[in-house]
Amino acid sequence: MDLTEKLVSGKGNFVDDINMPGMLHLSFVRSPYARAKILRIKGGITWKDVDLKMASVGEGATKGFEYLEHPVLAKDYVGYVGQPVAAVYADSPYEAEDLAETSVEVDYEPLKAIVDPEMSLTAEPMYPGLKSNLLADKYLGADFEIKDAPVIIEDRFVNHRIATDPIEPRGIVAAYDGNRLTVWVSTQSVHSLKEGFCEIMHLEPESVRVIQTDTGGAFGLKGGIYPEYIVAAYLAMREKRPVKWIETRREHLLASRPGRGVVGKMKLYADRTGKILGIKGDVIVDSGAFAGGSGEFSARFIAMQLTGPYEIKNAYIHAMSVLTNKVPQGPYRGAGRPEAAFFIERMVDRLADELEMDPVEIRLKNATTAPYVSPTGLTVEASKPFLESAVKAMGYHDHVRKGNTGFGWFVLVPATMPGETARILVDGGTVKVWLGGNAHGQRHDLFVRSILSDELGIDPSVVEWQKGDTDQLEDGVGAWGSRSAMMGGSALVEAARKLRKEVENKYGKYSPQKLLEGKWDSYEFFHYDKPYNNLGANLITVHQDDLGVIHVRECISYYDLGKVLNMDNVIGQNAGGCAEGIGQTLYEGLMFDENGQMMTSSIADAGVVTADLVPRYKLLLHKSESSLPSRAKGLGEAPTIGTPVALARAIEVATGLRIRETPINPEYLLSAKKFH
Amino acid sequence: MSNLKVSITVNGERKEAEIEPRMLLVHFIREVAGLTGTHVGCDTTNCGACTVLLDGRAVKSCTVLAAQANGKKVTTIEGLSKGENKLHPVQKAFVDKHGLQCGFCTSGMIMTSFWLLNKKRKLSEEEIREAISGNLCRCTGYESIVDSIQEAERRMDESEEYIEEEIPARRGR
Ligand code: FES
Ligand code: FES
Repeated sequence: MDLTEKLVSGKGNFVDDINMPGMLHLSFVRSPYARAKILRIKGGITWKDVDLKMASVGEGATKGFEYLEHPVLAKDYVGYVGQPVAAVYADSPYEAEDLAETSVEVDYEPLKAIVDPEMSLTAEPMYPGLKSNLLADKYLGADFEIKDAPVIIEDRFVNHRIATDPIEPRGIVAAYDGNRLTVWVSTQSVHSLKEGFCEIMHLEPESVRVIQTDTGGAFGLKGGIYPEYIVAAYLAMREKRPVKWIETRREHLLASRPGRGVVGKMKLYADRTGKILGIKGDVIVDSGAFAGGSGEFSARFIAMQLTGPYEIKNAYIHAMSVLTNKVPQGPYRGAGRPEAAFFIERMVDRLADELEMDPVEIRLKNATTAPYVSPTGLTVEASKPFLESAVKAMGYHDHVRKGNTGFGWFVLVPATMPGETARILVDGGTVKVWLGGNAHGQRHDLFVRSILSDELGIDPSVVEWQKGDTDQLEDGVGAWGSRSAMMGGSALVEAARKLRKEVENKYGKYSPQKLLEGKWDSYEFFHYDKPYNNLGANLITVHQDDLGVIHVRECISYYDLGKVLNMDNVIGQNAGGCAEGIGQTLYEGLMFDENGQMMTSSIADAGVVTADLVPRYKLLLHKSESSLPSRAKGLGEAPTIGTPVALARAIEVATGLRIRETPINPEYLLSAKKFH
Repeated sequence: MSNLKVSITVNGERKEAEIEPRMLLVHFIREVAGLTGTHVGCDTTNCGACTVLLDGRAVKSCTVLAAQANGKKVTTIEGLSKGENKLHPVQKAFVDKHGLQCGFCTSGMIMTSFWLLNKKRKLSEEEIREAISGNLCRCTGYESIVDSIQEAERRMDESEEYIEEEIPARRGR
């Protein structure tokens, strides 16, 4: 049975499916307050048992400033609702849940929570000794002055926080044999987790093994390490019994790192022909209460991309990550890319309205005709030819004539660096493959088969893609940032070529038979330390019914993917990403009250889209070459970047209301203002 | 809490156990019957990952107490395939039409589809989407799932073998 046959038969091996004799079940006692002093903790596993910190402090923070480090278990302070304070364990999950409710007492002294990131900028510093609530504070580009610009537009946009919400929540099983810690985990990177365990728990690399289970979606959530994993490992080592922890959905919403949560304040200068003369902006990331999420990094990453696919000569952006009393922000599919596109593309649409020009005409006017590096550091290839073919292929003008059409485009910045690893093991006629990044629903098995049947001339059915295991592959990076086919694929191509050479060296000539008869082991680290960006565009049409409800009618993607390694792979990535883009735009958000209590209480409330709310998707390919060994370009995040901008514009056209936020739910539409 | 004795027929096999009265059917299936193909994705009856058939009717097994299923018949994803290599046409269609990516929602999705196709055929795409709107999938964007269900319908129409006597044909929902 191959992987998918197992999964459709209920024979998958997800982390919650693991049962071991003597296994303990872990449950957490979490903070009910967004900000409080802890006066007393009685019962359970507490910081007295596990006095460890999650990560070193982020950029922009005072070095060694211990309050910013996320404690594995809270000591004298809690910074968000849901923060782990104590842990309990029992022989069954039901009992463990009971114990969490009955056996631990915590006395808190609630403090005034800082919930709004913009208010946090001027609020009293969250922790004693800090000068401000800025976790990261950077300027990109250079300051400029444009005297008497004919058009100046200022605006403010928000992408609210959203839960990553894979249908399988987080989970881990840890076991210890007296020498070695072994964990089975739902993850995007066994190697990043291993590094995390070693660093946080001061373990030697030889004494940790991380094995990936079937991973039921991740979308950025499962790339890194979490406090609960450390407690599971600690308890397994202490009790010398296997320990399981499975997150509930409620815990996921409260205490798993969510994505987005960014405010963009933009100012755009242009002349009356539509040429953009410069942009200024503030990017404000709602980082949460501690360092170690993606907050510190994402403000700068968003600021860098704000010039979009345009030749904008002047840009000056203030990138800020701000402390708030919420769970630390994390990456969610797109991770900074959708926010940047939303901010710049909304501004360009505003400019089009201001000058009463067609939005695509404005975009063509500002597209680059040669490769370009923007003042904020974004590398763009000549974007004008791409835009021209996109407009044609998508039938943009026909759509616009019919009405309610939105168009958006973007530069996808895949996380290429520092490359990726791959291993091919040939034994007994089968070809096993490990990639350094671990698939969590992208079906790496499909492109792995395509690459190896191409490179080695073997039947795809002998190729067996393997889940991550740090004992099988010595190092690796991770599956995120639209990188797997590009980087993992390239490592695999190189490993395959090496193998071919070895067979050739031994037999004088390569043949698939010789390869499959022998025993071979080929490992490759494909190093890559530059960006490799590509372009994409989306077009969406909507219909607003009599009740005012928005329905997405058409969702078209036009992407430059280089060589398509496997069409089913590509179609699947596009479809899933479009649904998530539509979800973010229309429905998804995690909402908080002024005390930092989350008002979103279920996965339905959090807005994950259902089948009746999305259309069919159309994917068109821009023909181009990639110079990477795999010949692929990035894809995974593209639809989450392009869909929201196109959809926001389509809604604007349909309703005549200016769109400045996601989610654009009925309440938002009631509060939005007419723009013409 | 005193324990309860229940007897539930899971995929044709009688399972008897003493359980806590609060035990959910999904945990009975996973822990007592040891069938881990039925998944848990939420705690608010929203995701449908736990969907099984209870006396022929699709239910979210996280909202049914095991005690309520006492004396009844449960069919799980493991009960659909006939032996190792004999996938049900719905399962086969999901493989062939890429109706899954990570595979976590898949058991529930297939059980809902199976139930749907056993009570009604010649479904419009809208009816299919409506029928699976209680099952969340975060990976596929649903298009390939709709395709899989349409393909399964074609295959079940062609094959007499898959008229399921034990599934009562029900109209409406
Ligand atoms: S686990 Fe039953 S509906 Fe989500
Ligand atoms: S395939 Fe991953 S949730 Fe549906």
